[in-house]
Amino acid sequence: MYAIETENLVKKYGRLTALDGVTLNIPEGDCFGLLGPNGAGKTTLIRILTTLIRPTSGMAKVAGFDVLKEKAGVRSAIGVVPQAMTSDLDLTGLEIMDIYARFYGMGKKERRERTDELLSMVGLRERAGDLIATYSGGMRRRLEIARGLVHRPSILILDEPTIGLDPQSRRVVWELLEKFRKGDNLTILLTTHYMEEAEYLSDHVAIIDYGRIVALDTVEGLKKAIPQKDTMELTVSNIDMAKAREAVSAHQSVGSVAVNEGTLIISVDNGANAIPELVDKLRAMNAKVTRVTLKEQTLEDVFIHFTGRPIREEEARKVSFLLGAGVPRQWGK
Amino acid sequence: MNRFKAIFERDLRKFIRNPLVVAMSVLMPVIYLVILGNSFQGELKRLPVAVVDQDNGPGAEGVMERLSALEAGPRTVEVIKVSSQGFAMEGLREGVFKGVVIIPPGFSRDLARGSLAEIGLFLDNAETIAAATVQSAIARAVSEPGMEFVGIREERAGARLRPIEIYRKIDYDQTLIPGVVIMAIFLGAMTTGAFNIVMDRFLGVEESYFLTPLTKSDIVVGLVASGLLITTIIAVVVLFFSSLISGIYLWRLLTVDGFLLMLAVIVLSTLGLQGLMFVIMGRLNHPRIVGILGGFMNVIFFFPSGAIYPTESFPAWLKAFAVVNPETYSVHALRALMFKGAGFGAVKGDMAFLAVFAVLAVIAGTAAFKREL
Repeated sequence: MYAIETENLVKKYGRLTALDGVTLNIPEGDCFGLLGPNGAGKTTLIRILTTLIRPTSGMAKVAGFDVLKEKAGVRSAIGVVPQAMTSDLDLTGLEIMDIYARFYGMGKKERRERTDELLSMVGLRERAGDLIATYSGGMRRRLEIARGLVHRPSILILDEPTIGLDPQSRRVVWELLEKFRKGDNLTILLTTHYMEEAEYLSDHVAIIDYGRIVALDTVEGLKKAIPQKDTMELTVSNIDMAKAREAVSAHQSVGSVAVNEGTLIISVDNGANAIPELVDKLRAMNAKVTRVTLKEQTLEDVFIHFTGRPIREEEARKVSFLLGAGVPRQWGK
Repeated sequence: MNRFKAIFERDLRKFIRNPLVVAMSVLMPVIYLVILGNSFQGELKRLPVAVVDQDNGPGAEGVMERLSALEAGPRTVEVIKVSSQGFAMEGLREGVFKGVVIIPPGFSRDLARGSLAEIGLFLDNAETIAAATVQSAIARAVSEPGMEFVGIREERAGARLRPIEIYRKIDYDQTLIPGVVIMAIFLGAMTTGAFNIVMDRFLGVEESYFLTPLTKSDIVVGLVASGLLITTIIAVVVLFFSSLISGIYLWRLLTVDGFLLMLAVIVLSTLGLQGLMFVIMGRLNHPRIVGILGGFMNVIFFFPSGAIYPTESFPAWLKAFAVVNPETYSVHALRALMFKGAGFGAVKGDMAFLAVFAVLAVIAGTAAFKREL
């Protein structure tokens, strides 16, 4: 049973195709990362899966409910943390939690217990009575994660959960998501354009670009699928460079070796493990190793391999010249 | 029901946490009453009129006496005696005088001979209301007995009119109270209910509500209900302060039934406007557009409602709009209940219109509201 299934999902805004035939199957209990640059179609996909917008064509099921025909079922089964901060600034954290719990028909006692539990887990219990306007960005994000989980959903969907947060707050959010995932056996779908976030959290990663899924696998699987390896640079002295090159090339995980004056530039699998072995080997030949650098293969390399370019910026949204942004959304598209 | 109550409560809490909005919602209509009631009085007073006496005879003295009586009595004009006609005309052009009376040489002689004696009256007709008032006041003054040969006189004989007011004396600012209450309702409807949708959209907050099992009617009815409660309270507070300021002390005049009927009119008027706001604003996403629309809608609903000027005097096209304008019925009903001691029979037509309008507006507002992005 899949928690989320989509088949050939298409969304068009006039001539612009935001989603171009997306097919996905996300197993229950998986943490699935949707990686792509701004404007790639991540938010559009999330909005279709959360019943906020309708697809132009194709099928999508969330927790077994069709997003077009069984919207109420979808809405009850999912918890969502939208990309923008969406908690009312002039309410308190406690009030927001309680009001949302009431939207899901929870009773008073259950609401109180669940709110208390979640606010404690996200570290906001002491500040629960304060207006959200007084919270920092990280606190608001933690509150929104708690808010998304208030009704014990089976699927948690997060759209760019750490965008705009400082590295420390980002790390806190990651740890929270890990904790909730283990505790509640949640299926998590998260979109991000931060490589390290997808790498840290996801069991599976799909790369989406221009509305299409261009690659889908585990993080390790994706890395293996591309020809690039880690790049190690060893600066050595007291040895003939041709001999050094020969010795290094003989190591099983080394692909190719180039020499640049006193530096060996080595293409290597799993470079971090190979460093001590290669250094020992060179020392055994009386060489002096004066400097070692390692550039590990990242998801960024994977992304560049599949999309042909690094993460790009979002194209500007068109708005009406006469009316600015103050018009129904479709007029500004 | 729980979901609807949650929306209702959320909105009330948010409104109360903005005390400046609460204060302005009450203050603005009351200030309107104070400013309009004192600047745009029913009868004009102390209009400066220059008098140039080139006759210096007994006839001219008679005219002067009557003008002085006008100045001392109803105080319509303030007479300033000027020796130079050129100076007086200059003052008229500059707006210092609203009119210039010229008593020409030979005026007393013509009067004594019984031939037509004329005085000249120059008016600043760029200010039409002031000009008409000066003309009628001066005409009345000089056409009194003893001046029968003065040329400006318009009626030589006629029955003297003695107006009998059928209700207790009502000052101009007091007559504005129904309009001011309607304005409070309009402002309340503008700043609660549908406006919260616009703000939620502008701040990107609505998305999180649409992600929950809330239905379209939970959202619309919840917001309309909270807006209705807030606006009704504001309207009653404005009614109280308006009565206090204008000295009409409604609580001494109104019966309990009368007050309840007024409350019903306020509730129905609010409900209609709340629904209408959802129709108009249900899909907007910028508060600036609401600001512009608010000013525009206030003009088109308020002025043709009869709150300031009787609808009977409107041209046909404006009268046609007044017929479908819900504020016309609100003003009419409130005026009848407030000043005439009317009962349900006198306002049932107004209330029927307001009730039908309210139901249709809320249905249309719910239909117009889009529960998707």
